[in-house]
Amino acid sequence: MLTARSPRHCVAGQRHARFAGAVALALMLLAGCASTPELSARARQALPEQALLERIPFHGQRDYQCGPASLAMVLNASGVGVTVDTLIPQVFLPEREGSVQPEMLASVRRHRRIPFVLEGTFDALLSEIGAGHPVVVMQNLSLPAWPVWHYAVAIGFDRQAEQLILHSGMTPRQRTDFARFDATWARSNRWAFVALPPGELPATLSPQDALTAIADFERVQGTRAALPAWEALARRYPHHAMGQFALGNAYHDADAPQQAMRAFNRAVQADPTLGVAWLNLGLLRQAQGQHAAARRALRAAAELEGPWQAQAQLALDAHR
Amino acid sequence: MMKKLRRYLSPLLMALMVVGSLPVAAAPVNSGLVSTQDALSAERAQDDRQRIHQILARDDVQHQLEAQGVDPADVEARVAALSDAEAAQMAAQLEQLPAGASVVGALFAVFVILLVTDILGLTDVYPFTR
Repeated sequence: MLTARSPRHCVAGQRHARFAGAVALALMLLAGCASTPELSARARQALPEQALLERIPFHGQRDYQCGPASLAMVLNASGVGVTVDTLIPQVFLPEREGSVQPEMLASVRRHRRIPFVLEGTFDALLSEIGAGHPVVVMQNLSLPAWPVWHYAVAIGFDRQAEQLILHSGMTPRQRTDFARFDATWARSNRWAFVALPPGELPATLSPQDALTAIADFERVQGTRAALPAWEALARRYPHHAMGQFALGNAYHDADAPQQAMRAFNRAVQADPTLGVAWLNLGLLRQAQGQHAAARRALRAAAELEGPWQAQAQLALDAHR
Repeated sequence: MMKKLRRYLSPLLMALMVVGSLPVAAAPVNSGLVSTQDALSAERAQDDRQRIHQILARDDVQHQLEAQGVDPADVEARVAALSDAEAAQMAAQLEQLPAGASVVGALFAVFVILLVTDILGLTDVYPFTR
């Protein structure tokens, strides 16, 4: 777990100068220079030379509060009118003088936005910016031995100049070389996320990771709030069985049993071994009075080994 | 004290879960479906012990946040917004953070090292090196 802090300047003394010089020399020899991260061929082709999200509001950080400030910027950009002052008691840890990553994600959920943690690659980072999504990044601006953890918002890039554009600390639209940024970003294992309204999906993310992010949001905000997100996921990945299953559940909670049954049906077509989808399909058909069809689905669920077999068998027995 | 609490809580939770997993047939017709969250945790092959662990994790995090100086009035909502995995991560790792050790201190040695690494483009501590 990491804590974000703003950079501090330090007081200089004299005695350690020779030692420091030797260490610095050693470091120089060891580390070489920071290298510019490479984009994949696909990303090189798909991405524009430059991009800048002009409308992302800037909030300068106060004290150590780059976490709440970064959150306010991305939440405002996605249409949530929340202030830094509201966010501080929701995410800041006074004793740590910083904010930790899980709570950054949690506070996004509280404001009815879905946090999607990205794959930590330059491809993913630039693709999100290219798709119009500002990205919260975590950096260690210093070295691992004396970390200076920092959150900033990536809002643009210039591939010709090899620069990333960030709202960072007290500086709006700060330009940082790709190489320097990547060196500081790599120290957080390239941690980054976007905060999107339900119904919008990140440009690059595996269906499984997107599904987990939406399910975590749903647990906090309920199925009705999550329904547009499930619809979007099913549109993008119509053959992802778990996605269709989750969509079916959300339709069911929204009192749309016909649509729910269709989604469960698509789920079992995509993956006939998904017992839990057969089970829900059977239970829902039963509730709808479609007894013969319900039995078929429940039987399919009862025949599949796994955690839902017993429950399916019980429902089947009760149905007789 | 937490240990003691756990000893009493665990069997209680275990019993609750057994009751909770009893036949759906008894539940009202329209709410008997398996939720997405339950399906996902079954997919991840979590057993009851892991699930109990997760429930206790939230309790842990709540205490830890209070110890970190968070206003008790804010704690509950903060914990509620965490996913199970995040709560478990917080419970396991928040204490291990070296408190106050991560400040760039008054060491001249560090100043020079970071100045050099800044110039090399490896760090980004002092804005005047950009």
